[in-house]
Amino acid sequence: MSTPLLQLSQATVRFGGLTAVDALDLTLGQRELVGLIGPNGAGKTTAFNLITGLYAPASGSVAFAGRPLAGLSPHRIVAAGIARTFQNIRLFGSLSVLDHVRVAGNLHRAAAPWQALIRLRAFRESEAAVTRRAEELLALFNLERFRNTPARSLPYGEQRRLEIVRALATRPRLLLLDEPAAGLNPQEKIELVALIQRVHREFDLTILLVEHSMKVVMGVCQRIAVLDHGKKIAEGPPDAIRRDPAVIEAYLGPDHATALFHH
Amino acid sequence: MLTEFLQQLVNGLSLGAIYALIALGYTMVYGVLRFINFAHSDVFMVGAFAGLYLAPLAPAGSILGGLVVVGGAMLASALLGVAIERLAYRPLRQAPTLNVLITAIGVSCLLQSAGQLVFGAAPRSFPVIFPARALSVGGLDFSSNQVVVLVFAAILVIGLRLIVFHTRMGAALRAVSQNPRAARLMGIDNDVVIRFTFALGSALAGAGGVLYAVNYPTIDPLMGVLPGLKAFVAAILGGIGSIPGAALGGLLLGLVETFVGGSQYSTYKDAIAFALLILFLLFRPAGLLGKARIEKV
Amino acid sequence: MPPMPKAHLGFLLALVLGGVLSGLSDRIDPYHLDVLIGVGINIVLAVSLNLIAGHTGQFSLGHAGFMAIGAYATAAVTIFLGPHLIGDTAAPGGLAENTLFGSALLIGGLAAALAGLLVGIPSLRLRGDYLALVTLGFGEIIRVLLQNFEPLGGALGLNGIPAYTTVFWVVAAGAATVFTVGCLVRSNYGLGFLAVRDDEIAASAAGLDPARYKVVAFTVGAFFAGIAGGLFGHFKMTITPSGFDFSRSIEIVVMVILGGLGNTVGVILAAVLLTLLPEFLRPVAEYRLVLYSLLLIGLMLARPQGLFTFRTHRAVPRA
Repeated sequence: MSTPLLQLSQATVRFGGLTAVDALDLTLGQRELVGLIGPNGAGKTTAFNLITGLYAPASGSVAFAGRPLAGLSPHRIVAAGIARTFQNIRLFGSLSVLDHVRVAGNLHRAAAPWQALIRLRAFRESEAAVTRRAEELLALFNLERFRNTPARSLPYGEQRRLEIVRALATRPRLLLLDEPAAGLNPQEKIELVALIQRVHREFDLTILLVEHSMKVVMGVCQRIAVLDHGKKIAEGPPDAIRRDPAVIEAYLGPDHATALFHH
Repeated sequence: MLTEFLQQLVNGLSLGAIYALIALGYTMVYGVLRFINFAHSDVFMVGAFAGLYLAPLAPAGSILGGLVVVGGAMLASALLGVAIERLAYRPLRQAPTLNVLITAIGVSCLLQSAGQLVFGAAPRSFPVIFPARALSVGGLDFSSNQVVVLVFAAILVIGLRLIVFHTRMGAALRAVSQNPRAARLMGIDNDVVIRFTFALGSALAGAGGVLYAVNYPTIDPLMGVLPGLKAFVAAILGGIGSIPGAALGGLLLGLVETFVGGSQYSTYKDAIAFALLILFLLFRPAGLLGKARIEKV
Repeated sequence: MPPMPKAHLGFLLALVLGGVLSGLSDRIDPYHLDVLIGVGINIVLAVSLNLIAGHTGQFSLGHAGFMAIGAYATAAVTIFLGPHLIGDTAAPGGLAENTLFGSALLIGGLAAALAGLLVGIPSLRLRGDYLALVTLGFGEIIRVLLQNFEPLGGALGLNGIPAYTTVFWVVAAGAATVFTVGCLVRSNYGLGFLAVRDDEIAASAAGLDPARYKVVAFTVGAFFAGIAGGLFGHFKMTITPSGFDFSRSIEIVVMVILGGLGNTVGVILAAVLLTLLPEFLRPVAEYRLVLYSLLLIGLMLARPQGLFTFRTHRAVPRA
């Protein structure tokens, strides 16, 4: 196998005395679609924050495409090719839907602030190109009718979708989705599964998915890693995870052999 | 040389004690509401003026008279603090911090400008309220007023500590400043605690105002601005939210300022507090005795 | 996005208007002219602070400090270098004098911008009320330093500054400020200012560097505050360190809040209103500050988005 796209080796995050992520090893290959699950407080979101540079590892390392991410600030990690969404949606309160995508689409373009004043032809063309691509992305995800709507007044499901579009606008190679199905109704969850599969296919991406809805995780992931108390307790294809006694115990406590992943 | 040093030490401590009294109010309000009560420095000013108007009613130059004046000023300041909280801050309990901060600046400006209308803009001389004597011990010259300031400040800080750590209200105050949500679930009425905090902090500022006026005997409606800002710096130095920290920060700042004031750099005295502020916020935002916080994402 | 020529055209029109007004200035009542210049200077101050506090959400209480640096630097150039550069015989209002003044303003602006860069750096680590305090402390430090700097007059200030400020310069500076802030904020790049204000973490997740945006906002905002300071000094002909104290900063803050954080047109209207208001309030001048502060409190309680903001988006970010 060639260089993995993402490699966490013995990565550990501590808050004071609490070890939130404990010696985590996780490897993602090109174009994989992997799920990261675990009970509440297992350290899933902390792992995301570690990968995206919001937290620094106490020990261990994170490498992206063979390059260590240590010391890179979050926006540089985005520039390197990792984009994410947030568990509690984080949109910009005063920007319209289109502006969310434009501002993120600005990334791979060298426009110094002063160029906004002189507005040479090259600057205007690159502005137009960013806007055009933002509009294409909106159209691709059925958001174009909300183009000028303030993002805060979008319906909930569309807000989640907009976060994904904003992440895609940065042209990532790895997309981290933090509970994209939270708060969605069953119909929306079905649509989300289709959306994730489409994004995975059409954008030529690797996806790491944190999700509580087993229907979604089992439906789309090729491989699943399970965290409990910061430690990885299992990893494998969905069918194996479904039957793994350690996983069942982590979710329901001992003495529950119920098939839990069928609701 | 040594005498001069000790002399400056006494002067520095008595200035620092006043910073400490004001700083306590900032730190307590920050503890429960997480914002800088800009108007606190003007409560200090109003306390001094309350003292000015109460002084003729009390026997001049006696310990008892002094106590009455300080007590009255503390009461007046406490009432003002509670009124400010009720009218200006409580309606903004759910608003963004910045809105509250701006409101606090507005209240501060209002007290200053209203003070200039009501009390007059010109400096007024403050009457003698405590027995005033020049003392000389081992070549050290100080006034009895400096002693009064130090004794008062010590009593008030100890009293505050007793209230915070040994009363039900104090326990509620600590609970709210640690976690307002959980405190509410435990049946604590946050509004009552916040009102109490304002009353307590404002009373201390009022006492500080009178004690300041006793030592620097002219007062005016803008007198609170610099001591107030510096006291806030003292609160940050000590670690905002920490009561011993505020006392420590106040004393330290008073000492540093007095020693610099006695040196050839005396004209830079007013800049020191702000330089310290910037250094601390950049390199040790938790202050000397405070704890760092982790931001949750 | 507005097409490019419109902004440039507006800028050029403003310059022409400034020239015409300047040419007619002999026929305008001197009192009205003074008020006009005061309004213009305040517009520059308010719109530049709005870039920092409004668009980028970095609440700054030190704008008067930047203004002071610009005022002193500009005056130092015209007083100490001016006579060597253009001689004593230069025609008043002539090309030599205006070139000197223009370059001096630029130097004043750059000096303030440098200070803005320095203040912007703490803003990378601080937010909300802590940042407000640091900027306040910075303004006070500037004041104390100037009071101690005897070559520039110390506490007594600088006197005998030449009266170079004309309507033209004020209108030109106002137009340049509005143009710059407007173009910055409306470009795809400039959306980043708003994004950083709304949510720094989300902004960095969208690939934006919040630190860079904040420093740019502080630097550009301080540059124009410095220019306003230069205009102010060459209008009043005398400056003192205490003229640029905390209350001056607050005055500018009130304009921005009244107009609505991040709302350029509103802020311009507020600057005009708050400069004209004292002129009408002369009979009750002593109540002016009371009214200002009540206005500020009332706005926060009843209309935190400002008087002139009518859209319903959140005007003030959560700190």
